[in-house]
This record gives sequence, structure tokens and C-alpha cells, in this order.
Amino acid sequence: MTELFVVGISWRTAPVAVREKLAFRDEELAGALQAMTAELPVAEALLVSTCNRVEVYGVGKSGADPTGPVRTFLAAQRGLAAADVADVLYDHRGTAAVRHVFSVASALDSLVLGEAQILGQLKAAYGVANAAGTSGPLLGRCLERAFGVAKRVRTETAIARGAANVSTVAVDLAKRVFGNLSGKSVLVVGAGKMSTLAARHLHASGAQHIIVTNRSPEKAEALAAEIDGIARPWADLERLLVDADVVISSTGAREPILTRALFKRVTKARRWRQLVVIDIAVPRDAEPAIGEFDGVYVFDIDDLEKVVAANLAERAKAAEHAARIVEHEAGQFEHWMRTQGVVPTIRALRERFARVADAELQKTLDQLARRDHTPAQQREVIQRLVTLVVNKLLHQPTIALREAPPDEAGMRAEILCQLFDLSPAEPGSAGDQNGGDEPRDPQPALDREIAEPAPSEERQ
Amino acid sequence: MTDAADRLLSVAPSPAFWVAVVAYTAATAALLAVLGGHARLRPLALALVGAACLAHGADIGWRGTQDVHPAQSVREALGFLSFIVTAGYLLASTRYRLTLGGAAVMPVSLVLLVVARLTPAGAAPEDLTVLGRIHISLATVGVSVFALASALSVIYLAEERALRRKRFDALAFKDRGAPLEALDRLSHRLIWVGFPIFTVALGLGAAWMARRGESLDRPEYPLAAVTWIFYAALLVARQVYGWRGRRAARLTLAGFAAALLVLAIYLVRRMAG
Repeated sequence: MTELFVVGISWRTAPVAVREKLAFRDEELAGALQAMTAELPVAEALLVSTCNRVEVYGVGKSGADPTGPVRTFLAAQRGLAAADVADVLYDHRGTAAVRHVFSVASALDSLVLGEAQILGQLKAAYGVANAAGTSGPLLGRCLERAFGVAKRVRTETAIARGAANVSTVAVDLAKRVFGNLSGKSVLVVGAGKMSTLAARHLHASGAQHIIVTNRSPEKAEALAAEIDGIARPWADLERLLVDADVVISSTGAREPILTRALFKRVTKARRWRQLVVIDIAVPRDAEPAIGEFDGVYVFDIDDLEKVVAANLAERAKAAEHAARIVEHEAGQFEHWMRTQGVVPTIRALRERFARVADAELQKTLDQLARRDHTPAQQREVIQRLVTLVVNKLLHQPTIALREAPPDEAGMRAEILCQLFDLSPAEPGSAGDQNGGDEPRDPQPALDREIAEPAPSEERQ
Repeated sequence: MTDAADRLLSVAPSPAFWVAVVAYTAATAALLAVLGGHARLRPLALALVGAACLAHGADIGWRGTQDVHPAQSVREALGFLSFIVTAGYLLASTRYRLTLGGAAVMPVSLVLLVVARLTPAGAAPEDLTVLGRIHISLATVGVSVFALASALSVIYLAEERALRRKRFDALAFKDRGAPLEALDRLSHRLIWVGFPIFTVALGLGAAWMARRGESLDRPEYPLAAVTWIFYAALLVARQVYGWRGRRAARLTLAGFAAALLVLAIYLVRRMAG
């Protein structure tokens, strides 16, 4: 029987220095997948490669354990010996693999619990596998279910609530003051990396005018070009503050730039319009006293990080509930997989029954067509047809039961009872007497077969 | 009806009144539960506010069929005022998440309604002319609009204080809260609506008093003028000096406090008979 497997490396098992050695570029994924399914005992495969994980999700060919060859394959693809990464690679099979895929999709295995990016990355990887022709029915079903589980986890738990990084918190705080950021003006003071990220987030949230000012005009120009903003001279700072709605400051200055004296003039000129100042510089660019002016809200890096920490703590609490959902869903999927194992048997059984019934029906129809029958004769022909079909269908199970080795006979009988919901009556009991009011048993041949040694199916 | 009962309740409360009382109570509980983290109850809470508003409106309509109108007395006007506040809250809730405001406004509406229906009616007003009815109606509508603006100002001050103190998970922000800028803007617009109505009501009230030959030495008259001065000052300060936010919210509340005092004096005087 085939089963799902996972082989991979993640932030949990290896530092970035190791992860980056095993990472795949987007354009390499399809080729690697096709090589895997062609050269290894792998029937279906998907490869997800992000900054925090490189993982293969797949289905092995019947009877083979693909995890060893996949480990070797991953290392060889990156020019490494399997032994070099043996300690950092992990593998899961069966239910454990399903649970892992569901956890990854639900961002329970992410470095930042509940982050939304991994779901998109998984969907993209699934798209690549589909395009490469390496995704099949079992893996496809698992991934589709994983996307559903991720949605359920995000809807039913607080795993994705609250911003989980400083830039997003900055946007969240600006929204508490302004609501919709559409049409708002953002002033970026300094050209630090953090302010660039925050400005990008604000821009993505609808802020339309991004002004960059820096002591070095070249740096201001470069950053403005990078974030689709406009560079303005440092000398205009006071006027720029008057026009801004959100200020993001992260200069390398040793002394505060956004001083109380400056803001006394600025707030009056602004007519006390609301202004959010996000100060992510260390040492701080904004004097805390500017927060005393009406309409000015100042948040420093500690404020932002406190919010992040609180949100992550809330997410950690929600993760317990989310894990229970994943466990339940993995169990459901495992049940579905098990039922898939008996599907061929069910199909064969139905086909066999249909074949027997069709053959006998055809014979009966031919017989009825050859000459006229009275209603009584027609009834007899149909009764015979039913008896024949029942006999033929029960012939093989009857033989199997009668000729079973003594140590298996009881078990086979029990299975039959379960399958057909039988309650065998004791010999000589009332149910075995066929009392006067009961209809006449239409299956004398079957009774004979039960009582007598079995004839072969061919003779019937 | 006995004399005492007649004095207590000019018209017996309608079944809709009792439905409104239950719905207001349930809406308050549901809104508090939403603030407590049961966000899924939000639609139910708003549905209960809607039910309370409908029942309250039905009660006012039913009283109309009994010849008791909102403009008939301060007592009836109070009931109408709380209805407008609830309806205004419901309307604002379609655009902003004002759970905290709802949890504050619903009990106030409930208390006003109960006071309006279950307190002694006092003697029937004499010579209530058309002028008097228009005065009471406009004053009620004006104060109702100020009440809504004040409710928004209370939310503004609560959120602003939490934000300034960096208490990002404070009660004001439970269930997300409304943006400060929107609260400030909406409150200002409401005062722009309420102020002219209240101004006309004051003018008509003065004319009515003059026609009745009453002197203006009662305390409610200068207090009504103080209310008007607060809101006039607020509009001028905003227009000329750009006052907004915290200062505007405080001035809005001060004006409403003066208006409430006027209503309380009227009510006590009527109850005393």
C-alpha cells in the first residue's frame, strides 16, 4: 500500500547557513520534481523551498520506502554528501506526514506562528508540481485538504490575529488613529532598513504620498526610488512635518531630531490635526515630550516590540486549539486514506456481481424471447433467475467458508456475519423451522449447497 | 385608573415598552460579552439593538394613538431623545465598530426610557401651544444629536487616553474600536447638525415664554444659554483655530452636561407637579 511521506529541513532543525545550501530556486523546482519521480521510488512529489524550509512531500511507489533515496537525492542535487545533512534532515510517513503537511499549511510550524506567507508558498509549490505532472491523486487530495485545514485554523482560532512584526504593528497603530490610510501622507525621516519596511507596509495599506528626507540627499533619493516616494531636502523637515500624517523616523543621529520645541511650532501650524510618529531609531529620534501635544501620538521601538510580543503570546495560546484542529483533520484524512485502500476491492466485488447478474439476466431474456410463456411460467423463469444469481454469488464465499482451515473458519464466519449483518440461528431453533406462515424458501439449490459438499462454480 | 396611578403614569406602558426594556438589557449584555472577547456575538448584539430601537419606536407610536406625543412634555421628550440616540447609534454602527459606545449608550437609553415612562407624569401642561410643541420637539432633537456627539466624544477620549498611555489592549480597543479621526469627524458633523436646530429651539422657547408673559429668571434658561455658548464656541474654535481631538471632545461633553442639567431641572419640576 502506498503512503504519504515528508523529507525535509526547516528552521527547527538547521540554521540558515545549512538551509541555504539545500534551497532550490523557483526555476529548478520542476526539473528536480521530474527527476525525483523518474529516478526514485516516488510516484507523486511536491517540493517547497522557502527561507525557512526545504521539504519534499510525496507518495512512494508501492512497497518501497522512498525517504532514504529522497534524502540522498536532495543532498546530491545541491552537491552535498548525504551524510553531511543526515542529522538535519527529518522524515515522516503516513499519518505523521499528513499531520506535518497540515501543520505547515496552517503556519503552526512557522518561525512566526500564524504567518500568512507559507500558505501562498505551498499553493505555489503545488502549482509547480501540477505543471510538472508530479502531483497525483493522493498528494493532490492531501494538499487540497491542507489548504482547507489552514483556512479553518485561521477562521476558528486567533492564530493569525494581531500583527507579528514591527512594521505591521506600525501600520496597525496608524490605523487606530486614521482608520483607512488611503490618501494619507507618510514622511520617512532617515533611510534605515526598518523605516523602509514600515513605509512599504504603509504604502501597501493605502498611504499614497511617501516623502523621504535624509541628511544625505543621495540616500534620500535612493530610498525614494526604492519605495516609490519623493525625496525632499533635510532643510524642509519642519514644513514636511506640518503636512505629514504619519512620520517614520530611523536616523543614526545621537541627539533627538523631533524635539519639543520643533513640535510646538509644528502642531500649531497643523491646527492639531492627528499625527502618528513611529520612532524606530536607537538612540531615539523623537523626544517623548512631543507626545504631550494634542493630536500627536509617539511610539518608539519598545512600544512596537511590546505589541509584537503580546500578539505572539496570544498566537501561542491559539496554537493549542489549532493543533487540536490539525490532529482531528489528520485523523479524518487518515481514515479517508484507509478507505482508499479497499476501493479496488469494492470495485472488483461490484463488477463481479454485476457480471454474474448480467449474464444470467441475458440468458433469461433470451429464454423468454424464444417462446410465449404463461404468466405462471414467466414467474417461474424469474424465480429461477433470482435463485441462480444468488447461488452463483454465494458459491465462492460458501466454499471459502466450508474449506477454511479449522483455525480460520471461525474468523471467516465472523467476518461474514459482520459484512452481511447476520445473526446465525442455532440448529433446531425456532428461526430454523420455516414455520407455516413463512413464504416458501425460493432457494432450494442454495440449501442443498449448504448441506452438501460444494460443486464447482463451472458446473452451476 | 386611580388618582395615584393616573399621577404616576399618564398612559400605561405598552407591551412594546416591555419588549424594548428586555431588548435594551439583552443588547447591553451582548455588547459587554463582545467586549469580553466573544466577537461572534456581535451580529446578535446589533440585532438586539435593532429590536430595542424598533420596540421603542413602536411604543412611541402607540403613545401617539393615545394622544401622548413626544413634544407634549419633557418627560415624553426624554423617551424620544433616547429613541433618537439608539437609532443614531445603530446607524453609526453600520459604518464603524462602536462596541464600547454601544455598551455605554444602551444602558443610558434604557434608563432614559424607564424614567420617561415610569416616573410621575405631574400635572398636565397648560397652554401648550403649537409654538411650545415646536420648541420642545426641536430642543429634543437638538439635544439628542448632542447626546450622540457626546457618546462619540466619550469613546474618543477613552481610546485617545489608552493610545497615549500605550495600553493597546485596553477596554477602549476591545473589539478593535473606531479610528480616532473618524470619531472626531463624526462628532463634529453631528454638532454642525444639532447646533442650528438647538438655536432655533432656543429662539422659539424664548418667544413662547415671552408670549406667556413668564420671566426668564428660572435656572434652566441661563443653563440652556450656556449649552448654546459651549457648542457655539466649539464650532468657532474649530473653524478659526483648528480645535479638534481631545479639546473638542471635552468641550462637547461640557455642553452636553449643561443640556442634561436643563432636562433634569425640567423633569424634577414636572414630577413635583
